[in-house]
Amino acid sequence: MVSTPHIAVIGGGSTGVGIARDLAMRGLDVTLVEQGNLTHGTTGRMHGLLHSGGRYAVSDQASATECIEENRVLRDIASHCVEMTGGMFVKRPEDSEEYFQEKLQGCKECGIPAEVVSGEEARQMEPHLAKDVEKAITVPDGAIDPFRLVVANAASAQEHGARIETHSKVTDLLVEDDEVVGLEVEHASGPGKRVHGTEGGTEAIRADYVVNATGAWAGRIGDMAGLDIAVRPSKGVMTIMNVRQVDTVINRCRPKGDADIVVPHETTAILGTTDEEVEDPEDYPEEQWEVDLMIETLSELIPMLEEARTIRSFWGVRPLYEPPDVGSEDPTDITRDFFLLDHEERDDLPGMTSIVGGKFTTYRMMGEQISDHVCGKFGIDAACRTADVPLPGSEDFSVLRDYMDEFGLRSPIGRRSVERLGSRADEVLKTDGPNPTVCECEGVTRAEIQDAIGQSGSDLNAVRIRTRASMGNCQGGICTHRMASELHGEYDESVVRDAWDELLQERWKGQRHALWGEQLSQAALNYALHATTQNRDNDPAGGDPVDFAAFDTGVDHTGDSGPADVAADGGTPDGD
Amino acid sequence: MSDAQPTDFDPVEPNTGEDFEPVEVFPDSDDFDLRPGADSCYKCSVCDTNCPVAEVDDDFPGPKFQGPEQWRLKQTDDGYEIDDSVMSCSNCMRCDSACPSGVPLSQMHNTARGEYVEEQMDKLSVEYVRNRILSNYRLSASIASKVPRLANFAMNFGPARWAMEKTMGVTSERDFPEFAQQTFRQWWAARGGADASRENAIESRERRGEPAEADKKVAYFHGCYSNYNTPEVGKAMVHVFEYFGYEVVAPEQKCSGTPMFANGMLDDARRHAEVNVSSMSDLVDEGYDAIASCTSCSMALRQEYPELFDIDGIEDVASNTYEAIEYLRIHEDVKGEIESAEVSGELAEEFAYHAPCHARNQGLERQAVELFRDLDGVGVEDVGDSCSGISGTYGWKEEKYEKSMEIGDEMFEHMEHAEGETGMTECPTCAMQMEHGTGYEIRHPLELVEAAVVE
Repeated sequence: MVSTPHIAVIGGGSTGVGIARDLAMRGLDVTLVEQGNLTHGTTGRMHGLLHSGGRYAVSDQASATECIEENRVLRDIASHCVEMTGGMFVKRPEDSEEYFQEKLQGCKECGIPAEVVSGEEARQMEPHLAKDVEKAITVPDGAIDPFRLVVANAASAQEHGARIETHSKVTDLLVEDDEVVGLEVEHASGPGKRVHGTEGGTEAIRADYVVNATGAWAGRIGDMAGLDIAVRPSKGVMTIMNVRQVDTVINRCRPKGDADIVVPHETTAILGTTDEEVEDPEDYPEEQWEVDLMIETLSELIPMLEEARTIRSFWGVRPLYEPPDVGSEDPTDITRDFFLLDHEERDDLPGMTSIVGGKFTTYRMMGEQISDHVCGKFGIDAACRTADVPLPGSEDFSVLRDYMDEFGLRSPIGRRSVERLGSRADEVLKTDGPNPTVCECEGVTRAEIQDAIGQSGSDLNAVRIRTRASMGNCQGGICTHRMASELHGEYDESVVRDAWDELLQERWKGQRHALWGEQLSQAALNYALHATTQNRDNDPAGGDPVDFAAFDTGVDHTGDSGPADVAADGGTPDGD
Repeated sequence: MSDAQPTDFDPVEPNTGEDFEPVEVFPDSDDFDLRPGADSCYKCSVCDTNCPVAEVDDDFPGPKFQGPEQWRLKQTDDGYEIDDSVMSCSNCMRCDSACPSGVPLSQMHNTARGEYVEEQMDKLSVEYVRNRILSNYRLSASIASKVPRLANFAMNFGPARWAMEKTMGVTSERDFPEFAQQTFRQWWAARGGADASRENAIESRERRGEPAEADKKVAYFHGCYSNYNTPEVGKAMVHVFEYFGYEVVAPEQKCSGTPMFANGMLDDARRHAEVNVSSMSDLVDEGYDAIASCTSCSMALRQEYPELFDIDGIEDVASNTYEAIEYLRIHEDVKGEIESAEVSGELAEEFAYHAPCHARNQGLERQAVELFRDLDGVGVEDVGDSCSGISGTYGWKEEKYEKSMEIGDEMFEHMEHAEGETGMTECPTCAMQMEHGTGYEIRHPLELVEAAVVE
């Protein structure tokens, strides 16, 4: 037998990790590179809907059918990432009855369990629905945590021997004799786990085949080998509410339009979205009117949203693609289907395939098809197992535990922790040491933070997406410094400072479009707290290392004061 | 809403039972929704730093956790449980007034506690039975007051108290309050009830140069303690209000619900509240204002009732309820009368005054000190803003007794430092604690007003 092929996968979103896991499980050597954190691109910027397929049941029945199939698969293999909330398509008086019937019919045609309920019944399920909602169609929509899903896929790929490199940006494709033979990456902090301040460097990664799974960034990778991949990035805004106004996914039952969905997500509810084509997936305007539109329009379905607290808004770009000859004007008309572009067939450049388009719910199915394609290149006949083998964390588990007896945790904190960790709960939460709550809003304890640090190094944003720490209503006001402190011991002060700065920046960024009412109060408190207790407004240490030895050690238990030759402010003992 | 029958309505989570007609109750369910309250919290922890229980009990996670944090964490469809630590909250409600952002903390605690007791607490447990008995003090008191001498003996009979502590978890450290030989209501009936009060009021109006038919009438919510244990407070209230020309009525009433809220016995509290609201709202319709001499009773009628229950007339009752001295300070020149008065005899004392937490929540913590400042023969010294620590039934629980006394330490110390050796407060259970910690006799401000202006 020839040696095992080595496949390089570019892109650490759902598609990339899905492919990496699938190929690794089939026994191939896999290296996945991602320019930022896992989920850095579009995956980390979606509303967390596990589609039933209902949204596509009229316009795109092929996608709808795929969605309901994958919806069932993910409930099974990714149970710790999914909350089966159920969903509804609600009809207001001004919405078309004809479309309502088409939607119902479409769901039936696609095998999506759908039932009509009256307005009263819908309000029994969701008391905050508008009183004039006439009726609704219930469907098996759900909520899914894209962060947890991607992290679990990457962990599974690693268990099967894959190498996962985050913060490693592809700077060039290696092309020899008119064939792609690998890629060149720039590591932000050296290979392996990210540690701030570690010297980076470039690495040439030779591969037998390259898969470009960079979504909206696919064109940029293509350019490196002179390929024209015309992805049409389309931005959408999502606004996060502080609490769940609904426990069911609420869709507006009308053909298409902005601001037509509310997804309950963990402790929050996410409002979405818009659909507007942009030039550059990394540089596009994020405007307040888009957020206002979400709240205003969705208040027609759920009136209390008008007065409710928003904690954050974020924008994502869909990696839409259509064959150039279709020529849709409006991005909402572009298909949500995915395209596999074999550059050998398409551009006479062997060695690489790009995958564009597609949607999160069907990431596994896309991975399966790409993996089949890649295996075909090498004449490997290995069955796909990703639909049957649960992800790490989703093996049999129950959230009904005695949290205090087993983990020493208060009931809602224990419950949230176990829901996030799934079958890994015992391994992570049963610790010998003290296990204080680090993030109070989301109920994240030290043990879970330490587990995440163990996976991802000093990157606190990577800790955040694994644990939800700092994603609650104070947006890190109370916990970012605590999270940073958890790095202490293993990492030096300068690493901790850099990691802390980066997390804070990221937390502030998303609040720019939530600064009114209660979240403005929160921001004011956070600022004051950070300025007055952490020198965050103007740090005299200013990046220079602090001479901690110059501080005294305080009063010890015997009542003696510390060494006499140092002062508590780091100055000289006589106060000069 | 057309009647005051018990409903299945549960403020914690909307009832989605089959008989439930959501369109009918929808407008009301908005009022009970705690989402806006959870939205108001910005995690500053001022509630935690003001919580007297958190200060002494390291296992108690504090009001922020019990309220907005837990509410938000358990907000999903499936059966999240309430953490049992909510039973350690004493319901002093200091967090409510501490919060700079208007989070309805005590409402969150009360609903969570109600849910915990309803859904999770073992109804056969000693703790449940003990809490049920403690919170239904009115029932015990009404039986005991039929045979007050026997009750006074039995309730403080050593071996019986030892047995109560061992089997029920009621501390044997405290003396049970004495039951009066004649309850307030017995006195009131014997005195001629409302008719007698009207005559007295008219007489006072003539003396005061007011029209005989002046529209001055109040409905007295005496509560259980003034009725069964300290009728002298009730009598003082009647005398003082009549002196100022008010007709007093003493309508049918049950427990205000205060001890029931604190123990999560919301069904009991609702049953009592329905009687109270029903009789009070009829009177409010006729132009009466509701007056309480116990600050926890007025707190319950004003704040907890509309926050927790949906009973016809509840908002009207809440917005027309006052504490007795508060009411007089609003409508009468009671301060002027007191300035020109002089007290001699039994109440010519220096008083160590403690403002109850529930008085603080109603903005009444300075009223006694301000009112009596220029009263000749009397001195009133505020002993500070700490909590007395007993919080109704909290300090009666065997497992909370030590903590209750630790909370009370600051108040005891300040009382010792104060000049007087008589205590004063509006709250019956604070009075128990003050007496227990210092041995002082404790009086109610109404008694002093009576001594100053009536006698």
